[in-house]
Amino acid sequence: MGEVTEEIVVVNTLGLHARPAAAMVNTVLPFKSDVHINVNGHQVNAKSIMGLLTLAAAQGTVMTVTCKGEDAEEAIEAVRKLVESGFGEE
Amino acid sequence: MEFENLPINRKDSIPVARMVDEMTDDLELDVMGGYQGMGRSVLTADINRPGLALSGYLDYFASDRIQILGNTEIHFMERLSTSELGRRLERMFSFEIPAFLLSRNLKPSKMFLDMCNRRGIPVLQSRRSTDEVISRVILFLADEFSPETMIHGTAIECYGVGCLIVGLPGIGKSETALELVERGHRLVADDMVTLRRRREDSLYAEATPVIEHHMEIRGVGIIDIKSVFGVGRVRNTKQIGLVMQLEEWNQETQYDRTGLSEEYATILGVRIPFLLLPVRPGRNIAVIMEVAALNHRLKELGIHPAQRLNERLITMMNEGNA
Repeated sequence: MGEVTEEIVVVNTLGLHARPAAAMVNTVLPFKSDVHINVNGHQVNAKSIMGLLTLAAAQGTVMTVTCKGEDAEEAIEAVRKLVESGFGEE
Repeated sequence: MEFENLPINRKDSIPVARMVDEMTDDLELDVMGGYQGMGRSVLTADINRPGLALSGYLDYFASDRIQILGNTEIHFMERLSTSELGRRLERMFSFEIPAFLLSRNLKPSKMFLDMCNRRGIPVLQSRRSTDEVISRVILFLADEFSPETMIHGTAIECYGVGCLIVGLPGIGKSETALELVERGHRLVADDMVTLRRRREDSLYAEATPVIEHHMEIRGVGIIDIKSVFGVGRVRNTKQIGLVMQLEEWNQETQYDRTGLSEEYATILGVRIPFLLLPVRPGRNIAVIMEVAALNHRLKELGIHPAQRLNERLITMMNEGNA
């Protein structure tokens, strides 16, 4: 079982609002790994939209993403791509 | 379900400014001086009445607490000569004091206020009586210093019993909660629940600020329970009396069949009755939870149906043998 942790910065202007949160959930859901995101000591499961919304992660927020499981590497790669692409937003 | 590894948030200190912000309305507070010390830290959820310290006895002076000055202290200070008061305050102020709080709109002497201003020790004043000030400050501080955590789950009040529903994503926590709300019960929080320990032995669920009473129902999206069902179907906080974990029916697991043994979940050090509920098509979880909540209330009233049945059975068998 692999475990990887990475710091990823929110780049899109509006931050992690409802639409990006849904995109995040859909991105990580196919992976078997547990994906957790920690912002300032507040940790949530990335497979929960409401959880992600409680982070209130604005633009510039550093998220500590931890993936745990057999496909941890692939999962974190997918999360990084998604966040760094600004969730397809500006 | 793991409850031991939850990240626990607990404040080590709170700045006096926060107490003033939060308690201004409650205590009808005025800040009379020592403004530059508003960043001073309150370290414990307790207060001190510095009567003995003012009389010159400084061993065991609980200096790190909010110092409450009531009639006694103020009048005692008035009796002292200016030079003597100055000396005693000087010695008291060699300790780190977060703030003074005067009750009953009492006025401090000019000298006291000047010294506090020079040292940057905030002087607060409340209109309320001393005992009222003390109990409100202690309650507020106890709440501020109480440990809290967040958990994925749903909190709902069912027949007056605060129920915490936990289980893996997709097991149907939100859907069960929705059905319970539909049946007239009240939602506290869905998906992300803030849990706070108040006093030593009680655990409270709270709605999380941003999401409040919103709920995500797969296929429908985000709904607001307060708007859809009305304000009567939500509440902001509720003491948890029962923890129920949903899991997919597993042939290997031995589920409780009699209710004779009690299981507990320990969350933030609080022991709460725990039920493991298997989910299977055809099992209406909302109804089962209603029954579990009602049964829990019976037990709280000292009525234990499973035990009673068993005792009756044993008595009958004994009589048969006699």
